[in-house]
Amino acid sequence: MTTTTATPKPPTLPTMFLNWRLITYSPGTFMIHSVLVVMGFLFQVLPGLIQKQVFDTITGATRAEVNLWLLIALFVGVEVARLAANVSADWFGMSFRLITGALLRRNMFASILRRRGDTALPVSPGEAVNRLGSDVGEVSDFPTWFPDALGQVGAALIAIGIMASINLGLTVVIFVPLFATLGITRLAWDKIQHYSRLSGQAADAVTGFLGETFGAAQAVKIANAEGNLARHFARLNATRQQADVRERMLRNLLEMISATTVSFGVGVLLLMARQAMANGSFTVGDFALFVYYLGFTTFLPGYLGTFVGDYKTQAVSIERMVELVLPEDPLRLVESHPVYVSHTPPPPTPPAKMPADRFESLDVTGLSFWYPGAERGFREVNLHLRRGEFVVVTGRIGSGKSTFVRVLLGLLHKQAGEIRWNGEVVAEPAAFFIPPRAASISQVPRLFSETLRENILLGQVEAEVDLEGAVRAAVLEADVAQLENGLDTLVGPRGVRLSGGQVQRAAAARMFVRGPELLVFDDLSSALDVETEQALWARLDERRQTHASTCLVVSHRRAALQRADRILLFKDGRVEAEGTLDALLAGSEEMRRLWQSSEADGHDADSGDLLR
Amino acid sequence: MRVYTRLLGQYLAPQRGRMALLAVLLFTGLGLQLVNPQIIRYFLDATQSGGSQNALLAAAGLYVASAFTQQALGLAGQYVNQQVAWRATNALRHDLMLHCLRLDLGFHKTHTPGELIERIDGDVGGLAGFLSQFMLQLVANSLLVLGILALMFREDWRLGVGLAVYTAAVLLFLGMVQRLTAGRWQAFRAISAELFGYLEERIGGAEDIRAAGAMPYALHHLLTLSRTLLERYRAAVVVGALIMNVTNVLTAVCYAAGLGLGVYLYTQGQASIGTAYLIVTYVGMITSPLHVLRGQARDLQQAAASVQRVQALFALRPEVAEPSTLVSLPAGALAVAFDGVTFRYEDNEAVLHDVDFKVLPGKVLGVLGRTGSGKSTLTRLLFRLYDPSQGSIRLGGADLRALALGDLRARVGMVTQEVQLFQASIRDNLSFFDDSLPDADLTQALKELRLWEWAEARPEGLGTTLAAGGQGLSAGEAQLLAFARVFLKDPGLVILDEASSRLDPATETLLERAVDRLLAGRTAIIIAHRLRTVQRADDILILEDGRVVEYGPRMALAADPGSRFYHLLQTGLEAALA
Repeated sequence: MTTTTATPKPPTLPTMFLNWRLITYSPGTFMIHSVLVVMGFLFQVLPGLIQKQVFDTITGATRAEVNLWLLIALFVGVEVARLAANVSADWFGMSFRLITGALLRRNMFASILRRRGDTALPVSPGEAVNRLGSDVGEVSDFPTWFPDALGQVGAALIAIGIMASINLGLTVVIFVPLFATLGITRLAWDKIQHYSRLSGQAADAVTGFLGETFGAAQAVKIANAEGNLARHFARLNATRQQADVRERMLRNLLEMISATTVSFGVGVLLLMARQAMANGSFTVGDFALFVYYLGFTTFLPGYLGTFVGDYKTQAVSIERMVELVLPEDPLRLVESHPVYVSHTPPPPTPPAKMPADRFESLDVTGLSFWYPGAERGFREVNLHLRRGEFVVVTGRIGSGKSTFVRVLLGLLHKQAGEIRWNGEVVAEPAAFFIPPRAASISQVPRLFSETLRENILLGQVEAEVDLEGAVRAAVLEADVAQLENGLDTLVGPRGVRLSGGQVQRAAAARMFVRGPELLVFDDLSSALDVETEQALWARLDERRQTHASTCLVVSHRRAALQRADRILLFKDGRVEAEGTLDALLAGSEEMRRLWQSSEADGHDADSGDLLR
Repeated sequence: MRVYTRLLGQYLAPQRGRMALLAVLLFTGLGLQLVNPQIIRYFLDATQSGGSQNALLAAAGLYVASAFTQQALGLAGQYVNQQVAWRATNALRHDLMLHCLRLDLGFHKTHTPGELIERIDGDVGGLAGFLSQFMLQLVANSLLVLGILALMFREDWRLGVGLAVYTAAVLLFLGMVQRLTAGRWQAFRAISAELFGYLEERIGGAEDIRAAGAMPYALHHLLTLSRTLLERYRAAVVVGALIMNVTNVLTAVCYAAGLGLGVYLYTQGQASIGTAYLIVTYVGMITSPLHVLRGQARDLQQAAASVQRVQALFALRPEVAEPSTLVSLPAGALAVAFDGVTFRYEDNEAVLHDVDFKVLPGKVLGVLGRTGSGKSTLTRLLFRLYDPSQGSIRLGGADLRALALGDLRARVGMVTQEVQLFQASIRDNLSFFDDSLPDADLTQALKELRLWEWAEARPEGLGTTLAAGGQGLSAGEAQLLAFARVFLKDPGLVILDEASSRLDPATETLLERAVDRLLAGRTAIIIAHRLRTVQRADDILILEDGRVVEYGPRMALAADPGSRFYHLLQTGLEAALA
């Protein structure tokens, strides 16, 4: 695939292809639904014929000996069958929508979870929720309209055929202008698509803003800005209203155009049927049949217009869903996974520790990364870590030490270099450096609105892990004792009911409970005070006696530096020196300055001017 | 039911004119529907008996004209209806959002943003049809049913009675089953809110989930929720399908009965062929308003679920209430005094015990303590996000509980470590969406903080939209924006909560300047773990487990070898010597 334009269109999935994938995902449900829908429409043709027969019999237009009451009973039978077909079709259609909707949501969510830090989601979580809701709803609904269109067209063609066989001239006069309206609706489709895109964006803005506002509830309250935000919200809503009304009115206009052609058809019928009825070539029964059939066949052009219009707006929703999956292959949006509609999903199995996961060595050679268009980053960094070591990465702010760890863990994509685990090349660090091999806590960890216990376990089976030990290792046991319900305390959205330091330590406990071979700490100093951090390192010392875990720590605090088997000293994106604390203090001016600046500040090893 | 009428009254009253217009459009359209079969009857009978050419032409013309008018009225009705529905729901969304924002912080600690999105946008959206159409449709379609019945009585009383009995039976049946489904829809809406709340929160914390290797767990939970969603939807829909099935069968039977009656009357010579056709058409027609009424009953079920959830939110009241008598704050720097303040969240253990301190106007208090010692709670109390359980807090000499919340929060500014930015213009981010602030003030504030060059260099200056979550902004830039916000507010008391972590030296210098500018002529409380940050303080207060363990002038404490402050100053040195 080559693109010649300067701004290539973002990759998406063809509408037909996506619909096909959804249909083949749940083919049984779809087929049953389709057969029922088509049946329901075809049944529509019968009552017209029966009605004609009834009127012709009573006016004596036909000589055939027909029992009228049998005809009427037949009519009831046909109607009941048609309605039963419709209702069951709805049931299966609804199941199909929810099943395929669940699959799309699952795949989008999984893709978002796999996303790397340097390819952040293009929209806020609130907007993403809008896409997971309304766009998924649109797209999962659409395939069920195919049998609908098929049934409509089939029933209409049969009806038109019957009408033509009764009176060809009348049929032509009625239907030629009708199909001319198809041309008009065709013109409106692109406009509809345009408005649909606008109203989707406007809806994104509304939900995105709501999400951001309630995510910042405290900030809003203390800024005394509740009224201002509500006013802004009203403006966003008004924009959405305008876009949505435009789209809908255009659709309604199209429907009206086709509906007026029905009236036109009946008018033509009234004018032209007069003579035919006078000479007996057109019976009252024929008249009743025409009026009955016009009722649904004349809706066809309008319906087809709407159908094609809807088909086109699908492209908008698909694009918006694919955007959340990119830069992954858009195909992952529709990859097949079970969604468990008929029974409870089996419990997830936490990854078991395999013998091959046992950590022996980590060898990083020539690792390089720099932020696009900026001077920040690091180049040509080597690191060799052996089982049981405690290695500290240090340096000034902006020296590249935190970036290095993020690249190593795959949160950012390396530009050059190689990472080997026990001698084997690690191709996808983000997928590889997870428990039970490695675990890390970020500078700003997130908790979820569940109990503290669930937040720490996050899917681990409590009976199989050492929860108590993990809580202790994270210096969290005193806090747990103080909480009203201990580990069963609900921590609130994003863990807001805990303090910043408690969140950080809960995240540490989350890491410990997974018993990883390699522990990675990325600068805890911003959320933990000195004494708590010291306690954490002391606990870690105890734990390493029994767990033999290897530690890679980003820190400039003395408590960490003093424990280090080795220190990697970063300066301006390169490793300035490597060795024990004593060796570095003896040999590196930079190390001495770091160390002394903290001493000058007294209490806190990290807040000297050099570092801060 | 009173709840519904109150909602309808409150949000439709401002749209009286539009509602009246909508009523006219709707009623005229439905009235015309009754006319059409009469024209066709006339036509059929005239054809059979050889009526005049002109009369027949007129009948055809009249029919087409009436049908066109109906369509046009329908389109206009749609438009007005859309307007009414959107205006009413948007007004409701606005009120609900404002209400939720004014609720206590405790509310926000138990409801995820995703859930609130679903409740404010989704639930209210479920009310659109109900708010704009319910009453009108109910009245108009009832009138249509009555009109058809009347016309049938005019033809033959037996017809009228038969159709009336049928109508009554259908309506009675609908009334009976309607109750069955409301609870099911509510259960469905609840799980829907939970599902989207779950997604919103997990998407925000995607990196943590991946780092913990908890992806299978997160997906499993989503699938469990999806399954419950399907189950509850089915449970709600199955009753709806049952109703539909039964009424539809009734409809078919009724139509057949109409057909039979028409045939009978015609063969008995009691009706013309036109009349027989008319009877069949009217009997066929009565199903349409009954279907609409049934649809309204279903909407009402769904709306009932939404109304209850909306009302449940409106029923919540903040505990922090506006005072009945208002005291006003003096201009300039404000004094702060905590007097025996004890505070506990709900019924938990107290997080602040008997806290006493004073800050004179223009002075700076440095607060130290470990995480969880109660520092953040202290600042929340100053904004009256909560009221003390015991004791009182005075600002500018006035008890906080005597001040209007708006006045209080307008005069206290805070810079937190975590800066909350919106996906909106720099202007809106600075002013917190206050349109009344002139650009000159914003420019002035940015210049004071040496942030103007940065803002000016953005593609659209102050109008540049910041990315979601402040992406593309350095931590320092975000911090400076937070300072600019407080600067614009011109408060009499400034609270700095660990405002300077993880910054590069250049930004640090800028921030130091910003702090200088911000503190000039204002009272300040600075909260930090770092000693450097509190070097500006006149007094020092050390908190431990919610108690004041040390409080006094900074210089005096630093010089006193027995003080904790002195000890803290030494800890770093001791660590270095060990």
